[in-house]
Amino acid sequence: MKTVKRYHCIIVDDSPFDCLIAEKVIQNTQRHLSVTSFQDGGKALDYITGLGSKPEMDTIIFLDIQMPVMNGFTFVEQFEELPAEIRRGYGIFFTTSSINQNDITRGKSYKSVLNFLNKPLTTANLQQIIDKLVQ
Amino acid sequence: MMGGKIKVLYIDDEPNNLVGFKASFRRDYDVVTAQSPAKAWAQLEMHPDISVIISDQRMPDQTGVEFFEEVRERFPAPVRMLCTGYTDVRAVIGAINKGHVFRYIQKPWNEDDMRSAIEEGHNYYIATSMLSERNSELLKANTELDKFAYSVTHDLRSPILSVLGAINIAKAAKSTYEVHEMLDMMAQSMVKLDGFIHNIHDYYTIKRGELNITEVNIPELVENLKGIYNLEGVTSHIDFRVSVEQEGAFRSDPIVLYIILNNLLSNAFKYQKRTRENKFVRLLIRVKNNELFIEVEDNGIGIHEHYLDSIFDMFYRATSEGFGSGFGLYNVKDALDKLNGKISVASKKNEGALFKLSIPGK
Repeated sequence: MKTVKRYHCIIVDDSPFDCLIAEKVIQNTQRHLSVTSFQDGGKALDYITGLGSKPEMDTIIFLDIQMPVMNGFTFVEQFEELPAEIRRGYGIFFTTSSINQNDITRGKSYKSVLNFLNKPLTTANLQQIIDKLVQ
Repeated sequence: MMGGKIKVLYIDDEPNNLVGFKASFRRDYDVVTAQSPAKAWAQLEMHPDISVIISDQRMPDQTGVEFFEEVRERFPAPVRMLCTGYTDVRAVIGAINKGHVFRYIQKPWNEDDMRSAIEEGHNYYIATSMLSERNSELLKANTELDKFAYSVTHDLRSPILSVLGAINIAKAAKSTYEVHEMLDMMAQSMVKLDGFIHNIHDYYTIKRGELNITEVNIPELVENLKGIYNLEGVTSHIDFRVSVEQEGAFRSDPIVLYIILNNLLSNAFKYQKRTRENKFVRLLIRVKNNELFIEVEDNGIGIHEHYLDSIFDMFYRATSEGFGSGFGLYNVKDALDKLNGKISVASKKNEGALFKLSIPGK
């Protein structure tokens, strides 16, 4: 019998619609995935800092790029300042509507960003991500 | 008095020539002279509005061509003309190739020829300096266009992608309730997209349109706004208080005024604090001595003082609450600039905001 690893998900997106869509897609993909959404990157960072250190990667962050006050890039830069024992618990995916090449290049340049996904998030996409992480 | 006159710098080592030049042209032009290139530099520093430089070729310290070669580096704008009594082919070639002179004038010059050379040189100067001004305007417009295209792409695409996401979920939905939930979301996304397109339309109305000045029917303007916001006030339990005081007529562009008021009111209604009791939006319009004063106040979420300086910037958003595009206040500021109006804002986070405007009549 194979034991299925259970991931948590954090969504950071200023659009409440896109948060809701992502939540639904995640729940439709794997019922046992837990989801927490933030419309404000600062609050998400506080939450992550509050959870403290983690033994291994168990949380996927879906991060929007264009957001007011703190955009996705600033979020990643501040995330990368956190202690390594906190950081190792997370894998970040950009989920964005941007088709701007500069955004894409810059997004891929961060070492804590695993990949760059186009909106809208779909169950097929998500399944692929999880399969890859489990391997 | 001197503002309209062409400013000419004449350089010659022979003092009599300088006196003669001054005597002939001081009535029509603003004439500045120098007896050597060294002295000419001081004059160029002191008079940045010199548009034509005329220099003798044969001077003891430096030839006219050598001098112009340096002038080209340090003061590229004024038009250069070389004056010499010798038919010196080498000087002429040097003048053209190294000094980039506009004209070559033979000594002794005749007054009419000199005059027409100065006039043409000056016209050339005006044309080239206008060109470089236009160029820097274009450069600025291009930068703004880049920013515009980047943000517009995002703001147009994101509601579309939200709807596509909602369609995927609706297709897989197991209950009609969930389908309706998604339909609701799609409708709201489309409202957001439509609002954004209206903002773009406002942007172009203000940026490219000519002002259309007429006497503004203030009561009608206020009724139009009430027509939109009274209903929103009732459904969202926001007390909409409007007061109008008008002494005398006021002339301006009613459409531009409407864009200003509509944007400010839309923000005041949008950025309310959900938990607050006694929510209100207050609009005051006062016309006095051909000047319009407007106040728009609310007790909503307010603006952090950190961001107050940036709220009028294009695409700047100070909050992730509401469905802002970062376009509204930019349009307000742009519209006010067109009407020579002023705006000030006082706000505290979580307490509300007060915008005060004054607009002179036309």
